[in-house]
Amino acid sequence: MSALLAASALFLAFFLLLALPLTPACLELFYKTDDAPLKVVQQHAGDVRFFADGFRHYLAQIQPNLDECELYGSDALIVMPDSIPCLVLAQKGSPHDFAIDGDKNCSKVIASIEDLELPAETTFEKDIYARRRLQGGTGNQYRAILGERDVQLAESSVVMRWVHAVGDIDCAPNCRLYGRISSERSIRLQAGCVFTRLNAPRIELGNLLPDSAPAVGDTAGGNATSSVMERVLHDGDLQIEPGEVFAKHLVVRGTLRIGEGARMLGNVKAQKAIVLDRGVFAYGSLISAATLSIGPHCRVQGPLIAEHTIMIDSSAMVGDAEVPTTVSAPRIEVAEGAVVFGTLWAREQGQVVARV
Amino acid sequence: MIYCLYSIVALICVYTARHYWFTLNRLFGFQRHPYIDIDTANWPPVTILVAAHNEEKVIANILSALMTVRYPAERMIVVPVNDRSKDRTREIIDDFVERFPGRIKPFHRTEGKGGKAAALKDAMELVETEIILIFDADYIPGVGLIRQLTAPFFDPEVGGVMGRVVPLNSGHNLLTRLLDLERSGGYQVDQQARMNLRLVPQHGGTVAGVRRSALREIGGWNDASLTEDTDLTYRLLLYGWKTVYQNRSECYEEVPETWPVRIKQIMRWAKGHNQAMVTYALHLLLGKHRATLRERLDGTLLLGVYIMAPVTLVGWMLALAVFYRGIAPLHGIIALLSLTAYAAIGNLAAFFEIAAAVRLDGNRNRIALLPFLILGFTVSIFSVSRAAISQTIDAITGAEFHWDKTERFRKAES
Repeated sequence: MSALLAASALFLAFFLLLALPLTPACLELFYKTDDAPLKVVQQHAGDVRFFADGFRHYLAQIQPNLDECELYGSDALIVMPDSIPCLVLAQKGSPHDFAIDGDKNCSKVIASIEDLELPAETTFEKDIYARRRLQGGTGNQYRAILGERDVQLAESSVVMRWVHAVGDIDCAPNCRLYGRISSERSIRLQAGCVFTRLNAPRIELGNLLPDSAPAVGDTAGGNATSSVMERVLHDGDLQIEPGEVFAKHLVVRGTLRIGEGARMLGNVKAQKAIVLDRGVFAYGSLISAATLSIGPHCRVQGPLIAEHTIMIDSSAMVGDAEVPTTVSAPRIEVAEGAVVFGTLWAREQGQVVARV
Repeated sequence: MIYCLYSIVALICVYTARHYWFTLNRLFGFQRHPYIDIDTANWPPVTILVAAHNEEKVIANILSALMTVRYPAERMIVVPVNDRSKDRTREIIDDFVERFPGRIKPFHRTEGKGGKAAALKDAMELVETEIILIFDADYIPGVGLIRQLTAPFFDPEVGGVMGRVVPLNSGHNLLTRLLDLERSGGYQVDQQARMNLRLVPQHGGTVAGVRRSALREIGGWNDASLTEDTDLTYRLLLYGWKTVYQNRSECYEEVPETWPVRIKQIMRWAKGHNQAMVTYALHLLLGKHRATLRERLDGTLLLGVYIMAPVTLVGWMLALAVFYRGIAPLHGIIALLSLTAYAAIGNLAAFFEIAAAVRLDGNRNRIALLPFLILGFTVSIFSVSRAAISQTIDAITGAEFHWDKTERFRKAES
């Protein structure tokens, strides 16, 4: 082999090796198969009615059929434009035929004009729409429900995606609510219910106890967003004495315990746990990098944020009707008798328990 | 000479390990988004400052977007900070003021010191709220963004908030595509990992927020700084305030479409960052303040990222000198030197970080462009080194810094 040939082969090999990793790059640069900007949903605002509005929009495609069924008081089986069968129920007073198969599955979208009572131990694979009251059966499994009035889920029901009601939502014991449950009025969950995200002007957990009404204090002193309020940084653990009024924003680089009946007028943060004893009033937010424990009869304006767990004891009240708020943590345990106004959001799991 | 080379190799190794740590944390670690779920609250009043200097091409877009965001209108005031614009910026702003009475309070600045920090400093006379959000004029906030950026301020430890920047013109040419990859790595992995690990997420000065009382405590905007965002990050840290990063608070921006504009931009960033390094590094690492040990270490390393470019160049030259002088590196050190060659790219480019970020973003084919990043990094390493040299000369001769605004490429709305 001549020296020239060898040198040429060497250069060729060099350029081939250099070009190899650049080949897919050049192809992508030329063909532009993936050059769109990263998708940012500009219109996403976390609206709880998002799914409900989408489903209403979907059903609007068969509005004439719904009107006709309502007019004649008859049931009908309609095929939606996306080829999914939809059972329209408008017949009054007689049991409906849900076309349930041998495995106790109903694979049709259900659109009910009248009050809807669902059979028990059934899996509803498609979304359900109820223009009037919806009463679920025991042990049912649902994909999604939209109720224009009240929705009542029987014991041990399971929701996979979402429920939205214009009226009240009532969940019997031991329901498992994996998706987003929202109401424009109120949600009530009985003991043993498991949830991830609840949103309503008023959320009651379990039956309110006879002594459940939290003592209403003078909230006039609280102004947690005030810039005038000074901030205190405290290294290590801190105990706020019972009955003490603390009129500053507080950051604790350890564990914080707030004694019975104390009043925290500012926002509060702790790098470790925050424990509120009985009857504490917190007019601002409570943020913990670990756990947050709200004692009985406490009243917190919120938001409540913890990076591990939030425990809310019975008769505690978070937010109020005029100022709803957010409770968010990976795990949330709420005792029967507590009330939350706004959002309860458990990233991993929330549960209603007898006592925390 | 050899010990100098060893020191550089050691430094590069530290930065390389840091990149690996961040990437692995982002892929397999616990992800912290503590405030993102706050969707219901007694939202505090906010002032939104929109920094604008000759922004006729883009100012209407951001003002329109801000007028449609989901935030109580009576608790939100928009202050366009028109900094000595010579184009139609003033006219466009005044038109919006008329169309949305009571919602926009313009600040037209016709004289004074140049630069964004100086303009923001002067605009503070119009700010009455505790929470201040800041946008550059080329950004387009989505309807939920103002709530997302405000939510962390319920935490009294938070002094600053930073959202994620997403290039809108990513597909324009090779440069914008490379910048899109860089931004992905920088935010999706680097910033979020620092948030996860409780280190020092960096305030970016746009798609960002700051607490007024914190700003007052640290002495306000530093108009002597070329990068007021970096300066702000460190002053907040030294005074016991946290900056948090919200990876899901995304906002579109426009990235440079030409290399000269990109070079100018990165040179300004490098100078500003180095300026902050000289001012704060020693005090942050060894001084008496409230930062934790991990914040001190990470904060110091973060301050050094731009100076690593000239340091790496010096390392290359030393390696060549060592080779030609026939100095045999100690046993095993050759392996480290090899690593230097890799990390000289790895440190600045952080290829693995970018690859992980692209995957996390759910994009697929654009990862093929990764080899082209060598081009972007080569330009960066020389530009940043040039900036460092020019900054040193300026410091010796006493020349003043000059603030260069980044040119816009969007077509103005008719």
